[in-house]
Amino acid sequence: MPAGGVDRADAVPGAPAAAIAAGRTTVPQDDDNILIARGISKRFPGVLALDTVHFDLRRGEVHALCGENGAGKSTLMKIISGLYQRDEGDVTYKGQVCHFQSIQDAQAAGITIIHQELNLVPHLSVAENIYLAREPKRGPFIDKKKMEADAQVYLDRLKVNIRASQLVGSLSVARQQMVEIAKALSLKAEVLIMDEPTSSLTESEIDRLFEIIQELKGQGVGIIYISHRLDELRRIVDRVTVMRDGRYVSTRNLADITVDDIVAAMVGRSLEDKFPERTSQPTDEEIFVVDGLSRAGVFENVSFTLRRGEILGFAGLMGAGRTEVARAVFGADAKTAGTVSLGGRALTIRSPIDAIDAGIAYLSEDRKLNGLAVGMTVKANITMANMAAVSNRLGFIDDARERQAAEKSVRMLNVKTPSINQIAKFLSGGNQQKVVIGKWLFRDSRVLFFDEPTRGIDVGAKFAIYQLLDRLARDGIGVVLITSELPEILGMTDRVVVFHEGEVTGILDTRKTTQEEIMQYASGVKRMPC
Amino acid sequence: MTVTDTVFQERKIKINRNDLIQKFAALAGLILLVIVFSFTSDAFLTTNNGVTLALQTTSIAFLGFGATCVIITGGIDLSVGSVLALAGVIAGMAVKGGMPVAIAMALGVVAGGLCGLINGLIITRLKLPPFIATLGMMMVARGVALQITGARPVSGLGDDFGELGNGALMRILDVGANGLPKVVFPGIPYPVIVMIVLAIAIAVLLMKTTFGRHLYAIGSNEEAARLSGVNVTRTKIGAYVLSGVLAGLCGCILMSRLVTAQPNEGVAYELDAIASAVIGGTSLMGGVGTISGTVIGAFIIGILRNGLNMNGVSSFIQMITIGLVIIVTVWIDQMRNRR
Repeated sequence: MPAGGVDRADAVPGAPAAAIAAGRTTVPQDDDNILIARGISKRFPGVLALDTVHFDLRRGEVHALCGENGAGKSTLMKIISGLYQRDEGDVTYKGQVCHFQSIQDAQAAGITIIHQELNLVPHLSVAENIYLAREPKRGPFIDKKKMEADAQVYLDRLKVNIRASQLVGSLSVARQQMVEIAKALSLKAEVLIMDEPTSSLTESEIDRLFEIIQELKGQGVGIIYISHRLDELRRIVDRVTVMRDGRYVSTRNLADITVDDIVAAMVGRSLEDKFPERTSQPTDEEIFVVDGLSRAGVFENVSFTLRRGEILGFAGLMGAGRTEVARAVFGADAKTAGTVSLGGRALTIRSPIDAIDAGIAYLSEDRKLNGLAVGMTVKANITMANMAAVSNRLGFIDDARERQAAEKSVRMLNVKTPSINQIAKFLSGGNQQKVVIGKWLFRDSRVLFFDEPTRGIDVGAKFAIYQLLDRLARDGIGVVLITSELPEILGMTDRVVVFHEGEVTGILDTRKTTQEEIMQYASGVKRMPC
Repeated sequence: MTVTDTVFQERKIKINRNDLIQKFAALAGLILLVIVFSFTSDAFLTTNNGVTLALQTTSIAFLGFGATCVIITGGIDLSVGSVLALAGVIAGMAVKGGMPVAIAMALGVVAGGLCGLINGLIITRLKLPPFIATLGMMMVARGVALQITGARPVSGLGDDFGELGNGALMRILDVGANGLPKVVFPGIPYPVIVMIVLAIAIAVLLMKTTFGRHLYAIGSNEEAARLSGVNVTRTKIGAYVLSGVLAGLCGCILMSRLVTAQPNEGVAYELDAIASAVIGGTSLMGGVGTISGTVIGAFIIGILRNGLNMNGVSSFIQMITIGLVIIVTVWIDQMRNRR
């Protein structure tokens, strides 16, 4: 048994149901259960990612875990698979309370996770990947023959035509996924966690994957299945657990419910009062028009308009193409077709420089990665997109002008910073976001794309950013709000463009729509007539 | 909010303290070296040795300034040692061909800039890693220098050619008792003056101009800079051209000091340049670095060499010492950043 594995003394096979039934549904206590997670809580700095969540899995069952982005599904799976440590609660595996300290611990015990972004080494062979860090040896050397023969057995069991000696990098994503499954088999997995396994597969590959899942079920493997594609659950899933905002909502037999029931449980009914009152009024004047925009293989034929005074929402699941569309409009990525016009004038945008000159700004999803120069000062970040305004023709920076500009932005946006010379990385997330917004306001942008502007920032800062969005719209600046949080769409936008797998499936009037309806468009169940 | 604000304050004080430690650790190290060497050797702390030392440090400093600019963008320039040889050789051959010295040297500097331009184009257009691009240029430039000279030094360049490297401002001569001129004050050598002017000019470039700001922005977060409308391609090319120009100038001055154009000059100088930048606090990860730091770094290397020499320490021990100094300084830098 690996270090920190199973502690028999802590086993609580018959714990009273009342003590743990904090959720709305009672937690099943079947003897079939191979895995029971009770009252799991996990706190990250500033966020309660999981709040007393329950989950259980039977042998030979496919149990789907559903929830919106940020509901806590991945966090829960990372705790079960040993990547994160829980703060509260118990994970009981095969009747014993477990404290897995690492992925390796969990794997050794029989719990394997296949991540959405596959964890394979492209420059090694299939067999080398399957046996990475546990290579069979003969003396001090790797026994390559045995390794490849053993790997081939598992590949053959999956009935996939992959040779163990092939390089992983030469395989398609679907086949790489099969390699991951073969690896799970070789680890004698009794619990297999699959995170969005079908997101990059074709229809026939999905069919093959589902056959394999059925076979694994027959062998008694318990499978936890995370997917946004609610329509495909019917084909393999036995039970569904729904989470929302880090909390457990319900566990139901799939046979007893409909897709609509799942969606309703996912989005919840109440829209909390966490948004400021909208003061801007959309007019009829179209300031920004995107027509037939395409980027081959990423998104197709995306068209939308933005009116003066309007906040336009982009809704959709992760990977639906919202960010990609914004980046293409902004010139950060190449587009293969389509036109963009601003104020009735067609724009030629080949690079962000063109877009910025035209008055378009894009506030990226991942601030640290592509929004903020974290090692530079607040001042330098604010003026970065508009150095011309604070320097003379020879490129010499006018210190006084730059300081005034930065101070004005900091005051206007109420950025909490000890000084404008503070290094940006020492600001809180909300204040960093304000600095990025300040950068684009200083540039006098006419259309701003906000990509997940409130991700990872606290409630108070969120409210301040909502107020700011409203103020921008009132000042006649076109605002596009890309967000995965439907309450944000409903609370802040006037209209919403819904994306599904690189296409616009609907453009809805926010006042006349519901979270359920948006989810239906976002999951591809419904689409507007072309 | 008050809680967070206090945290900010505390952090800020901590940062400033750490910054001070880093900045003054290098400077204190430099001063310590001076004190130690002035005790161990009588000849160390004299005007003559001071001038010699400054003169010896100039070539590390010229190349170090260029290295600093390039490393701030997150890049590296390994070609400068070879580029300076090529530039010096071109200047020498031009003089041999009858050109006035000033124009010949300008030609050498332009050749250096051209090498930098090619580096920049390869890095930004062909999208090769800077390490590879400049490693290639290091070999190509050296090869060209050796080829065009037939691997022979170009000599007989005349006194004018030696003026820039050997001349000095305010040199005071006195006629000695034996009738020969006696040097009362050796003057400030021209290369030292050039170094001071360049240090100030490039420091201003980094701190006060949009070009400098963009260098830091690219090194700090290239994607953020690109999405902010910074012309990343042009700025990066600018950094490599600057590095090449400085290498060209360094080559001309070095060859002028020797009054001979040596195609074998400057081997491994790029490593001294990178070392001086790194000792001075420039981060190889990009986004961080100052010219004042690089000046300190260059003098630490220069003083170590000079002082150890005067104490009769073998050149092998010198190498070991400088190597250890690099490791320890960067380790201190990392400690500061890890926190």
